[in-house]
Amino acid sequence: MINKIKKFFKDFGLSEIRAGMKITGKQLTSDKITVQFPEERTPISPRFRGLLALRRYPNGEERCIACKLCEAVCPANAITIESEMRDDGTRRTTQYDIDLFKCIFCGFCEEACPVDAIVGTHIFDYAFETREGSIIDKEGLMEIGDKHEKAISKARQEDSKYR
Amino acid sequence: MMVDIEIEIDGKVVHGYPGESLISIADREGIDIPRFCYHKKLSVAANCRMCLVDIEGNPTPQPACSTLSSAGMKVHTNNEKAKTAQKAVMEFLLINHPLDCPICDQGGECELQDVAMEYGSDISRFTEGKRIVDDKGIGALIQTDMTRCIHCTRCVRFGAEVAGIVEMGATGRGEDLKIEPFLSEGIQSELSGNMIDVCPVGALTSKPFRYDVRSWQMNSIQTIARHDLVGSNIFTQTHKNKVKRVVARDNESINETWISDRDRFSYQGVNNENRVLIPKIKIEGEWQDTSWDDALDFATNGIKKHAKEGSQFGTLASKNATLEELYLLQKFTRGLGSDNLDYRLDASNPNNAKVLESNISLTELETIDHALIVNSYLRLEQPMINHRIRKATLNGASVSTINAKAFDFNYRISHSVLTSPQNTVATLSGVLKALHDKSSKTLPDYLNSVTVHETHTDIANVLLNAKNPVVVLGEHMNGNTCSDQVAKLVSEIAKASDAKTINASLTGNTHSAERVNFRPDNGKNALQILSSDLTAFALFDVYPNFDCIDSKNAIEHLSRDDAFVVVMNSFDDESVSSFANVILPIASFYETSGTHINVDNIAQSYSASVKSAGESKPGWKVIKVLADLLNLQGFDFTDSSQIADEALSLTPRISEIEVPTSNSKMPNITTVWQYTPYASDVVVRHASSLQQTQIGQMSEASVCKATAKLLKLSEGDLYKGVPVNINESVAEGCVFVHTNLPRQLGVV
Repeated sequence: MINKIKKFFKDFGLSEIRAGMKITGKQLTSDKITVQFPEERTPISPRFRGLLALRRYPNGEERCIACKLCEAVCPANAITIESEMRDDGTRRTTQYDIDLFKCIFCGFCEEACPVDAIVGTHIFDYAFETREGSIIDKEGLMEIGDKHEKAISKARQEDSKYR
Repeated sequence: MMVDIEIEIDGKVVHGYPGESLISIADREGIDIPRFCYHKKLSVAANCRMCLVDIEGNPTPQPACSTLSSAGMKVHTNNEKAKTAQKAVMEFLLINHPLDCPICDQGGECELQDVAMEYGSDISRFTEGKRIVDDKGIGALIQTDMTRCIHCTRCVRFGAEVAGIVEMGATGRGEDLKIEPFLSEGIQSELSGNMIDVCPVGALTSKPFRYDVRSWQMNSIQTIARHDLVGSNIFTQTHKNKVKRVVARDNESINETWISDRDRFSYQGVNNENRVLIPKIKIEGEWQDTSWDDALDFATNGIKKHAKEGSQFGTLASKNATLEELYLLQKFTRGLGSDNLDYRLDASNPNNAKVLESNISLTELETIDHALIVNSYLRLEQPMINHRIRKATLNGASVSTINAKAFDFNYRISHSVLTSPQNTVATLSGVLKALHDKSSKTLPDYLNSVTVHETHTDIANVLLNAKNPVVVLGEHMNGNTCSDQVAKLVSEIAKASDAKTINASLTGNTHSAERVNFRPDNGKNALQILSSDLTAFALFDVYPNFDCIDSKNAIEHLSRDDAFVVVMNSFDDESVSSFANVILPIASFYETSGTHINVDNIAQSYSASVKSAGESKPGWKVIKVLADLLNLQGFDFTDSSQIADEALSLTPRISEIEVPTSNSKMPNITTVWQYTPYASDVVVRHASSLQQTQIGQMSEASVCKATAKLLKLSEGDLYKGVPVNINESVAEGCVFVHTNLPRQLGVV
């Protein structure tokens, strides 16, 4: 009997609606978590493994020495490298292609690289307009590296103490 | 008689011979002991100390390479004591070794890398600066990075013990110890490439291979080197359908663990851009690229038109062709009703082939106690045969020579007779007569008038005193118009002195050519084919400019208007284009399956390592299709092994060759023309790195003062296009030309 009376007042007192509205009210006044991508972006871990890039040394010299360890370790066989002796006697790549359809962004290439040449950047939003566009050549990778060098080196710096 | 002794290694009871080193017993038993300086084919140096093992009863660990086994020994290779010692040695070795594995060509196949994975520490305690060593270039074949050197001295010992030319050495002490060449001209040995194989680190690596691909990217394919009479066993290492490197493959009875530089670096020729890639036909003097179908039709129609009778057709083949190609080619030629076929293009008297057989195996060569080398610069002609003789000389064998020039052998020559080609018959007759005199046998008539000189008697004496002598006949006799007599006399000398013989006069795959009877029975030989009125020719990988003894005449003869020439070639050649009517591109070395028969009569078959370049096809397929188009019977082959089976199942016809015993007339001054080993066939001629070596660039006409005066030559003049060098190491009455230039002017 007593339960029925309690239910009567609960139902007609709109208590559940008030509880719901309380949450709505809280959300109404609190900060929004929706991010207006691409104008706004969520924070990214320095270890984030996005689009790959090839880096340079501060003096402009390319880092890659064509050791092909990344090519060997790549579980998806996404990397193709051809090498030669450059005129100054150093070992350099003549071709460095990554097929982004094959790449699984595991980051093994970055782990294998003895000179921190191939790195995963924070870029994850990219698109190709043609099928062939999935293959980025050396020039393209260097370009990405040059463009984002600041962010890349900052991320390495931040992560260095955990390595 | 060797007695077995029993020792214990890591608790396992194993057997060895007294005096056998622990490491060789362990290797046989499959027990792994790390090592750098020990090499099974080189002397023991015991200077890397990596193979330290613990021997019970011994206070300190001992090197397994220089510790000899004795009965009851108890050895531990991986207990605490041995491991500690090995780890300590590893740490010392890594102190000065740079950490540049990522750019080192040895990376991935490096003994130091492998052993460091197991015995090295992951952290270096060495904080001081590492040693850096200057690199002196040592030639076009070997790249040095001496900073990486760990002073195992394998290369030094290889030079001193195997190559026989001491070119590398250790100078300085302690920190300043350096392995470097003594001379600035670079390494000159014809076996130098083996230093790359013996080097356990990346200090010596292959120069043409530098920075190309990594060791783990390549497929290793077992195959056979086709340049010489030995058929060295090799691996071709391929990547993306290109041969990237050639390394030696062990075969105790053929090439042990060594191969010559020619076998190692000639693959560059196959990758050369000067290949014929598309079938070509010549219409009204203009070359046109065409399809295989059209080219084959053009070729067969031309043969039908120009060789109405089979006897108007002649075939010439390279001595480096495979057994299958030679077999099909002779079947093709004989199927057309012709017996005009030959491979002995560089012989001025092609009658000598079967006069002298080889009857000693390569391993037996090591046991000889005297070698007589006739008409041969064996070291450069047949490096692996020469290596076996050198091994015999290290065991006390002596060597004498009868040559037109005093050559630079890598062993001591006890008796040397200098004789010009025109006097070779007289000299050999003198030796033979001296042999007969000594053994008081009845003298054959033709030796009655021969005069015996003291030098002849000396050579006869050493031959008779030797228990296991061998007589080696080499390439120089090919240019001799009396070569049949020379070969006959050499075989008589061998008979009279109970010597074994090696006929190294015709190199490459000539044993296959003989096996399939690739020479005329009654028809025309090479010289006659190139001088009579035949109207249709097939040339198989022949480049007359280099290959034919009288190249000028050969080219003129083939260029006649009424001659139809079908050429099956792998390389482009201007002189060939000038006379050919159709060029069919064929696969080169490593691109075709085939069989090589070596000097021991061992037939070694191999498969193709890479696909044929461009549109070229394996030679046997081209010949088969030509035969099918001409409706010849018996060419139903689908695989080269079927051809080899058929070719090897037939017994070769042996036709007795009559040898004249009287001297034919020869000019007063003759020429011995020898190609450098890196100009001996078309593939190696296109190998750019070999051409840059000292041996490859050799080009001089040596002549003695007296002969130079007669010929009115002075130092630096050109003799048949080759710079003259006047020195007294050459026999009077002849000019010895050693060159990489073609025989443009022809040699008589």
